[in-house]
Amino acid sequence: MKLKLFVDRLSQPCRAILIFCKMNKIEFVEVRIELSKGEQLSPEFKEINPMQKVPAMKVDERFRLFESHAILRFLAGAFPGVADHWYPADLFKRAEIDSVLDWHHANLRHGSAGLVFHSKLARLSGRPLDLRAAADCEKVLSASLAKIESVWLKEEGQFLLGNSKPSIADLSLVCETMQLEALDEKDRKRLLDPHEKVRKWMDDTRNATQPYFDEIHGVLFQVKDKLKEMESDE
Amino acid sequence: MKLKVFADRGSQPSRAVLIFCKANGIEFEEVQIQLAKGEHKSPEYEAINPMKQVPAIEVDGKFRLFESHAILRFLATAFPGIAEHWYPADVFKRAQIDSALDWHHSTIRRGSVGVVLNTTLAPLFGRPLDPQAAAEAEKLLSASLAKIESFWLKGDGPFLLGNSEPSIADLSLVCEIMQLELVDEKLQKRILDPYAKVRKWVEDTKKAIQPHFDEIHVAFFQMKEMIKKARAGAGSGETKTG
Repeated sequence: MKLKLFVDRLSQPCRAILIFCKMNKIEFVEVRIELSKGEQLSPEFKEINPMQKVPAMKVDERFRLFESHAILRFLAGAFPGVADHWYPADLFKRAEIDSVLDWHHANLRHGSAGLVFHSKLARLSGRPLDLRAAADCEKVLSASLAKIESVWLKEEGQFLLGNSKPSIADLSLVCETMQLEALDEKDRKRLLDPHEKVRKWMDDTRNATQPYFDEIHGVLFQVKDKLKEMESDE
Repeated sequence: MKLKVFADRGSQPSRAVLIFCKANGIEFEEVQIQLAKGEHKSPEYEAINPMKQVPAIEVDGKFRLFESHAILRFLATAFPGIAEHWYPADVFKRAQIDSALDWHHSTIRRGSVGVVLNTTLAPLFGRPLDPQAAAEAEKLLSASLAKIESFWLKGDGPFLLGNSEPSIADLSLVCEIMQLELVDEKLQKRILDPYAKVRKWVEDTKKAIQPHFDEIHVAFFQMKEMIKKARAGAGSGETKTG
């Protein structure tokens, strides 16, 4: 199967898919869609994903798919040699991972992505910041981090659901929390310092997916510098 | 497998899970968790679902699961005799249904809940109505309904993704849209009138899952009547003193 991935490495769900493919030696062509240049709004990309969002995927020039969790499930199921721990065949274990992936949308994703976009990243595409929306999202983020500690991370196992190896849920959620790197260091520390278990889990997931994790996240650190420049110019 | 389903029939995702079980002959015990009475906040229920939301399931007294889409996927694959169309084994077809289920969270779900809560249900949970939040949610909901018409309902069949039979995605999204029955009729018409394909798809989905669809919605329509009466009472100028 010839796989094309339409991605922007600044996007959390895009990074999760890229790391997954690299970890599992799935060959693909990476087509960069630069969000800050509005490339997701082009008519060509609309053919790929009518929702005009990244990531999106194309297989053999005929099967198109969007929504990162659907893509991760598809890749885990359709490609040979993907280790079971990513998305287990056991229906009970799989259901628990589905539960985390579903919970993510209205919780960690909404909180983290909203906070970072409305307080920082909107600038990159020339849009205004919305600090009220950012504050609302921060509340959701904090509550979500607390839930990860109290519900999803267990005494045993380093990964979500007490698993001893990472699943696509760990990958998706940690790529989301990494987006907080775009915030000012003091804000990032304020949000993450109270959650030692979350910080450890982020490190464990990162270690389990090296060198690809750092490689794919490189762009985030470049953006941090760019944002600092933009802010000091004002 | 002994299945318990913790549900409030006023809750859209609860109804989707109940209808799925009935339509597929899955035996289960329904445990009512009444949201209006705060039963989801009890310590007993927190042991079932630490997120304190419905629906949740418990299998054989030991395996617990929440999030309706995870539950629907589990039921579709773990129980025997489930017709293929609900959640096909084919990885490509299944992926498309996963895509619709994922898309739903931040679009139809978010928009519909925002409209219904902020125009109607908030007082039930001791919160004020919020017209501004309702207006924002309505914009999102309308844009999402437009996407169902222009993209998800493209294709030969009457169901999402052009399928000829309903999947768990149709069930989940239609139960969500049903929730709009609770809002003022004028608002409901304003939201749904522009989308003839959506309205037809809702009817087709209901028809395909009778009598179970209507049966599970009986309590919901009773709730609708109560809310209508309360709205009429408030509008007649009666004021509460004290």
